Amino acid sequence: MPSLRWPDGSTTRALLVAALVALAGCRSADRGATSAVKLDGGVPVGAVLALTGNANVYGQDQKVGLNLAQQEINGAGGIAGRPLKLSIEDGGSDEAGANAAMTLQINRGVLAVVGPTLSQQAFSADPIAQRRGMPVVGPSNTATGIPEIGSFISRVSAQSSEIAPLSIGMALKLQPNLKRAAVFYAQDDAYGTAETVIFQKALAEKGLKPVTVQRTQINDLDFQNQITAALNLKPDLVVLSLQAVDGGNLIRQLRELGYRGLIVVGNGMNTPNIYPICQRHCDGILIAQAYSPELATPANQAFIKRFQASQGGAIPPQLTAQAYTALQVIAEALQRLEKRQPLAGADLGQTRRSLMQEILGGTYQTPLGEIRFTPEGEVIQKQFYVARVKMNPTGNGGRFELLP
Amino acid sequence: MDNLLQILFNGLSVGAVYALFALGYTLVFSVLGVINFAHGAVFTLGAYFTYLLLGGAVGSNGLLAGAQLPEGLPFWVALVLAGLGCALVSVGLEAVAFGPLRRRQAEPLLSLITSLGAGVVLVNLIQILMGAEGYALPAGSLGQLPVTLELGGARVRTIQVVLMLVSALVVVVLTLWLERSRGGKALQAVAEDATTARLLGIDSDAMIQLCFAVSGFLAGLSGGLVGLSLSITGPYFGIGYGLEALGVLVLGGLGSVPGAVLAGLIVGLAEALVPGEWSGYKDAVAFAFLFGMLLLRPQGLLGRAVVTKV
Repeated sequence: MPSLRWPDGSTTRALLVAALVALAGCRSADRGATSAVKLDGGVPVGAVLALTGNANVYGQDQKVGLNLAQQEINGAGGIAGRPLKLSIEDGGSDEAGANAAMTLQINRGVLAVVGPTLSQQAFSADPIAQRRGMPVVGPSNTATGIPEIGSFISRVSAQSSEIAPLSIGMALKLQPNLKRAAVFYAQDDAYGTAETVIFQKALAEKGLKPVTVQRTQINDLDFQNQITAALNLKPDLVVLSLQAVDGGNLIRQLRELGYRGLIVVGNGMNTPNIYPICQRHCDGILIAQAYSPELATPANQAFIKRFQASQGGAIPPQLTAQAYTALQVIAEALQRLEKRQPLAGADLGQTRRSLMQEILGGTYQTPLGEIRFTPEGEVIQKQFYVARVKMNPTGNGGRFELLP
Repeated sequence: MDNLLQILFNGLSVGAVYALFALGYTLVFSVLGVINFAHGAVFTLGAYFTYLLLGGAVGSNGLLAGAQLPEGLPFWVALVLAGLGCALVSVGLEAVAFGPLRRRQAEPLLSLITSLGAGVVLVNLIQILMGAEGYALPAGSLGQLPVTLELGGARVRTIQVVLMLVSALVVVVLTLWLERSRGGKALQAVAEDATTARLLGIDSDAMIQLCFAVSGFLAGLSGGLVGLSLSITGPYFGIGYGLEALGVLVLGGLGSVPGAVLAGLIVGLAEALVPGEWSGYKDAVAFAFLFGMLLLRPQGLLGRAVVTKV
């Protein structure tokens, strides 16, 4: 049986030396902030996206948007003649992954970060960025409280309280006799818990107090218990605040178990990647959106043209448009900053602070329409929409059909 | 009454999946005395094999982007073939992660770690080849069977009834094979004492490989059925089932086949009894039940008490 013995003298000395060497090798947490901006290969901007895990259905859309924006920006001359160098890190679908990816981007010396994908991840990773003085532009974080994390945090995705109630209003417009609503939300997801409060408040304001509120978990796949409990109460409206994968599964099981009423979903299902999951059962679901492919502005038309050229004529989804917008905002702010103070060799920490001020101070013509920011980093966007999913007869594909 | 029946069906359908999954763990544990942490990865592989054999196309994010069989197979054929494919993979895992350590008579903990590593490698390989996106098996894979059945006032999805029936069939066939066939009795002998079994002329190594093959087949079968029921959410979708099934394995009694089945059904029912509004806490309820049971009966429901001789 092994015994626990204190190491002898020579071993102790070796351990102490090893520890000292390890400590000496540790990078200072602020080392990134005191070094100079490096422009080798281009102006460095980073992204933290959910490319793996359940949220990868969003990250894949966002990656397309970022790549398109990079092509557009560099095709127009980049940042004062230098190309924009985009590095995308996979933040996975959990907080630990986002934290690691954010830290990597900060240490890499990028000037700003787009991401992370999920609000849940933002609450964990954005404080790291805030402490390290890294400007962050959230492309898809809609939970309440994101810009309030700190002065370096902003977002181009309007929060749920602005958008979600529109879909409840549309449901009542389509079926004025709605009386009984069943609400489902993921209780371990910051986005879901924030949005369901907004949905329930909107329901109450319209005289539709929920007959049941069912709680799920992000990684749940089998909702038989919750669905049968809800269906026993005979709802005529179901409201979901879930991510795409669990939400798509729930809708499929809901329809298979016989529910035929209206379904309203939140921003978590705002992606065509729900089609393979709920297939023909996706048909008819209502969702409020911050982006319309039908917005007839030059910025949106240029974005759609570029998207369709690369994606075989498909309609761009909201997440792609928002990611594109996020990078566009950073690029335009960098261009204005470069005119005021050349980036090459400038102090990195000071450059990031100045960039954040430029981001918040600008007005941008984007695929989302004209947007600005409040001093706290919250996006100010003028127009929102409600769409209904229309599936192909085969159930293999569909589109978001905007409702008047 | 309708509500009780609904709860019963809900619980049994979930429990059947846990039971089928835990049977794979049980088989390996009964023979080698270690838990095969790669079992969840093989379960996941079963779902992906079934999807591909049904004619599904690989999405745009994997190395095999766009790959697709020219013609999809009927569901039951695809399911069995997926099971056989997983059986082969499982035998391969035994050769890589368990066999070398067993021959050196290494500590069982090391096999547990290598199986964990093998599982991670397998899952990452799936991700590289197939991408991280979700896949859904084609609707209508069960042919003309209705999507939902109404049984005594309770509503249940047909695929869940299929899962329950397949689980029951597997348990019956497995039990008969273990109890009545030469191969099954030889496997039991190896499980009891591999060295003595060898001395009696039983090829212990072959029996162990057979055990892994059967375990892999069960994982593939359950993965394909669950993939049809709930869609394939990504390469890691077997992990959650793996954790629940570990609890089931322990509750039923390590190495007990009927114990794994009984425990699976009990855990499924325990989760179904949690009120709908609180079903987000069902995992806590199930594991609290397990914890309480083990305090009363440490060897599990049908496990054998360990007798220490002094």
